[in-house]
Amino acid sequence: MRKVKFLLSSFMALFLAFGMTSCSDDDEPNVPEDPSIIQDYHFDLWVALDRHGGMGRDVKTLVRSVNSLEADQPEITFQGVGTEVNSRLSLETILKGAYYYQVPVSGDRFAKYKITNNQIEVIKERRFQTNTFATRKYTHAWIDDKTLLIMAANGDATKIIWTKLNADDMTIISEGTLGLTMPEGAEIYTTSGILTYRKSDNKLFYFYYAKKGGARGKRVTPMMTAVIDPSTMNVESATPCFLDCEMVGTAYGELLQTTTIIDDNNNLYIACVTDDADGTEHSHLLKIPAGQTTFDKNYDGFKVDGKLISVMYVGGNKAVGYARDDQYGTGIDSFSHYYALLDLNAATSSPIKYNGERLAYSSGRFSSRMAYVNHKAYIGVDAEGKKPQIYIYDVQTGQTSLGATMASGYYFEQIRVVEDVK
Amino acid sequence: MRHCFLLFLILLGHLYIQAAVPTYKLSGNVADRSGESIPYATITIGNGKVPVMSDAEGVFELKLPAGDYKGVATATGYKPATFEVKLTQDRSIKIVLDEDAVALKGVSVYGKSTAKRLEDGAFSVNAVEISPNLNKMVTLNDIVDRTAGVKVRREGGAGSDFDLTINGMSGNSIRYFIDGVPLESKGSGLTLDNVPLNMVERVELYKGVVPSYLSSDALGGAVNIVTKKKRQNYLDVSYGIGSFSTHTGEISGQYYIPGTSVAIRPTFSVNYSKNDYKMKGVEVWSEEEDKYIFTDKRRFHDDYRSLFGQIEAGVTDVKWADQFFVGFSYNKLDKDIQTGAMQNKVYGEASRNSHSYNVSARYSKRWDKISTRMNLSHTWDHSETVDTAFRKYSWDGTWMPSSGNELNNKSRTIRVYKRPLTIVNAGVDYELNEHHTFALNYMLNRRGNDRHDEIDQYFEPSNDVVTKHIVSATYSQSFFNQRWQTSYFIKDYINTLSIKQSDDITITGSDKIDAESTKSYWGAGVGSRYIFCDPVAVKASYEHSVRLPLSRELLGNGTTVYPNLTLSPETSNNYNAGVFGTWFFGEGMHQLSYEVNGFIRHVQNYIRATVSEREGMMQYVNEPAIDVKGFDFELSYFWRNRFQVSVNGSWSDARDLKKYKSDGNPSATYKNRVPNRPWMFGNVEASYTFRNLLDKTDVLRLGAAYQYIHWYYLNWEAFGAASTKAKIPTQNITDVSLTYSWHSDRYNVSLECNNIFDRLAYDNYMLQKPGRSFAAKFRLFIN
Repeated sequence: MRKVKFLLSSFMALFLAFGMTSCSDDDEPNVPEDPSIIQDYHFDLWVALDRHGGMGRDVKTLVRSVNSLEADQPEITFQGVGTEVNSRLSLETILKGAYYYQVPVSGDRFAKYKITNNQIEVIKERRFQTNTFATRKYTHAWIDDKTLLIMAANGDATKIIWTKLNADDMTIISEGTLGLTMPEGAEIYTTSGILTYRKSDNKLFYFYYAKKGGARGKRVTPMMTAVIDPSTMNVESATPCFLDCEMVGTAYGELLQTTTIIDDNNNLYIACVTDDADGTEHSHLLKIPAGQTTFDKNYDGFKVDGKLISVMYVGGNKAVGYARDDQYGTGIDSFSHYYALLDLNAATSSPIKYNGERLAYSSGRFSSRMAYVNHKAYIGVDAEGKKPQIYIYDVQTGQTSLGATMASGYYFEQIRVVEDVK
Repeated sequence: MRHCFLLFLILLGHLYIQAAVPTYKLSGNVADRSGESIPYATITIGNGKVPVMSDAEGVFELKLPAGDYKGVATATGYKPATFEVKLTQDRSIKIVLDEDAVALKGVSVYGKSTAKRLEDGAFSVNAVEISPNLNKMVTLNDIVDRTAGVKVRREGGAGSDFDLTINGMSGNSIRYFIDGVPLESKGSGLTLDNVPLNMVERVELYKGVVPSYLSSDALGGAVNIVTKKKRQNYLDVSYGIGSFSTHTGEISGQYYIPGTSVAIRPTFSVNYSKNDYKMKGVEVWSEEEDKYIFTDKRRFHDDYRSLFGQIEAGVTDVKWADQFFVGFSYNKLDKDIQTGAMQNKVYGEASRNSHSYNVSARYSKRWDKISTRMNLSHTWDHSETVDTAFRKYSWDGTWMPSSGNELNNKSRTIRVYKRPLTIVNAGVDYELNEHHTFALNYMLNRRGNDRHDEIDQYFEPSNDVVTKHIVSATYSQSFFNQRWQTSYFIKDYINTLSIKQSDDITITGSDKIDAESTKSYWGAGVGSRYIFCDPVAVKASYEHSVRLPLSRELLGNGTTVYPNLTLSPETSNNYNAGVFGTWFFGEGMHQLSYEVNGFIRHVQNYIRATVSEREGMMQYVNEPAIDVKGFDFELSYFWRNRFQVSVNGSWSDARDLKKYKSDGNPSATYKNRVPNRPWMFGNVEASYTFRNLLDKTDVLRLGAAYQYIHWYYLNWEAFGAASTKAKIPTQNITDVSLTYSWHSDRYNVSLECNNIFDRLAYDNYMLQKPGRSFAAKFRLFIN
């Protein structure tokens, strides 16, 4: 249907263009094509049946593909439709274009999948060679469209291992161990850390910290930034953050939600959190300016109370953030989470509103119930006593409209924009 | 409250006092002229009384009011014998029957074994005599799995974890006992899979309502293993060998020191299996094809070794005790771990080992109208899970270096659990007269959980203690010549927790509970049975039961089960009603027995095992409300003690009645069928016995058994496309066996083939059970 609509609109545009051309004596200036526009896509809704996932919770996850999340769509249900994924896939996944990439539940391979017709289709799987990774506990970065880098602490968390993959056929390009030195007094690294790649200066930024051993070992260092040459994987520098903070997610990279973004000016941002003296968590959005490798000490893009869970870049040096207001609860299922528009230049944030009122608080801390495509941000709200609801924030107009509604009893886990396979 | 009031009214209605006539025990032995015991003879005393049957050794026992009685004993192939007895005290008699060489058809056979009498009692119960299976290479699990309403779900081959379901209630809702004492007292390594068969007389499977003498917090039912206790010397030795390098050996016996009442009862068993059966369609990496392919591979790391030894010594029938025994047992179990909770998690080095020592004493004595009993037991239980290999195995047995250990990709561990267990079980019965009996029971069950890790320096040791006290009082009545029997009982469950572990708080919930807590819960029940005539009897029972979480559920198993310290006790209102009977026709040559039971369970905080496919781990969680209803039936036909066929079937429907989630939003699974549980299954068994083939003492028995288990979904059935949902497929398993015995059962040989058509079968998602297998067993029984 989407394709039919697209063909019709293309035909109309072509007709008008020819018409205008024939009526015009002067050549119109060429309007540059917006490279960010995706023509053929659909949404994959990942929902939980029992409760929100995260922190190792065992929830039953279903995935359903829908062509639209607009308000004119029928109520979304999973009765008799959708794909059960738990026996093969983890909710923690990488998506690029039309494909999902992940270490599946078997925990012995890298894999590339597609979900179509209510089933999981294996595109390519590759057995681990030297480095092995645990399902859902790794971080990743795309060095280019075909090169996927996976990184995580090893089993006893004393080393950081990495594997570079060719995303086309999932062949292992190279593997190794990161040349980091364990900071003095520390015994282990964080489980995965956060890895991201900045194209403008061709650098990998790996955010991590070191701590004492054991499940509750105390953090010894603040968040560290290792700058890595992506071709050699040599560590060029490893510097502590000026703030005594850590990344908002440490165990599963950006497989559930994004915590790093790069704006139009190639500034790199990362959401982090400090433990304040009063015992509450306070988030910050820190910036590594373009061309630099250390944080701008004078910048904090998130100055309100609570924890910034996730950030999603929506163009124009703006981002949509998903944050927690601690006064309404800090649990995964607390109705204390809200969406905000972050102005990265002004370093301000304001709650997203619909019809003049801020959206209801949502439950669900982990995972990302928001997606961005073609200048629109689709955000899911699991509000108390209401059906799960999609809202659509139009970046260009700054307006929020009502989107599709989901039947009661399901919980948003992921809203993914998946390109159709051409 | 409504149920309690109803109970009270019923109690009042029956509390009229009968004439206080003393009752006495009449016991005896039925034998032929040569002194050979006659098994399963029928003894009918008085006019219109329900007959009793002698057991496999010809022994019978019943209670009667004081008086003069006339009786008749009958048995197949013997002439009826009448006798008279004057009962002014407990008496033991011997009845001798003469062989009837003319014909068998004139003899009446009622067919009421001890087990059958139990089944004809007020509670819903399957009582399974073990003697017909003693010659086969089977386990108690195999035997109970073939009974109505019962399903054993296995994770693999010999020694693998299993869950037993009775009338739709999951495995851990079921409690296991051996002679009324929790089976766990023999050590965590002893289960229905390796209890020596030749020490067992019968197995009682209580469905739903559990008699209070078991002092149990069972919710779905209980399994009580009753061991042999007849006063006779014997030696029972067996050895079995089977596919997948399986070997079993058992020795048990009893010896009374001549001229004394002192008895010694040694038992020893050993089991070994390599469990290297073929796994069908497992994934392995093919370098040639540059992809994962599906192929058949043998299991390569699933060795199972168990050893059990026990010796009991004591006295019977002395002035100060009917029975007094002290015992010592040792149990050792070593088990390689081949897979996680799903077969795509393949392990090649990890193992679980346990050993335990137990000392126990039991005492029973009857003084006129008062019977007392007491069991004391202490067990030192030590188990460890070894996971020290940084390797990632594949089904072809190859491995690659891994960055973490096998079970959870973390650091190397040798996790040690010391779980000492103390059990005190005491009871006293008072028999007011033949109509009214009162009983009081108490059980203490204290389980420690001292855990540490031998090599993981970051593991936080802790020492948790879970203590249960269960007190119960029972009133039983019997009217109309025992045709109407009713029992009422009330229980108090006191649960004391001392939880010290506080790691993995997001998984265990240790931050959400009080480290020290004591809570009390009440339960009550009633069971009644009325026999109109042999072919028609009815029974019904009700219990408001409470089940306190098991240590395995609460504290995990150290390998594949995470702790969940926030688990709440299950409570349930259990209703059972049934009709049953036995019909003899064709002048005693044909016997037809039937039983149909319906049940309803309203369960709150239902404890259910969930499988995290992602982690390959299990954890027990509470489901707020579950409603289970269903029925089971059994139909058996016997012809001249030669041909036997029985059919049973079970159907149950468990629904989630949780309307709202804890966050107040509607639950999508409301009124959905509870997933991952078999809900329709059945068995057919047939056998034919040939006698006097080569000599007058030999017996050849040919048997076949078929089991059907209907497919079911792993996850909630309503959600997701049916075509791609995970399912546990239908199982059709057929077993055949041949048993030959000679010299009056002294020598026995059996040959068996299980899953003869080599069907793919698994009870749990993607955890295959063995395919076709063969076994042979030799047994020597001397008495």
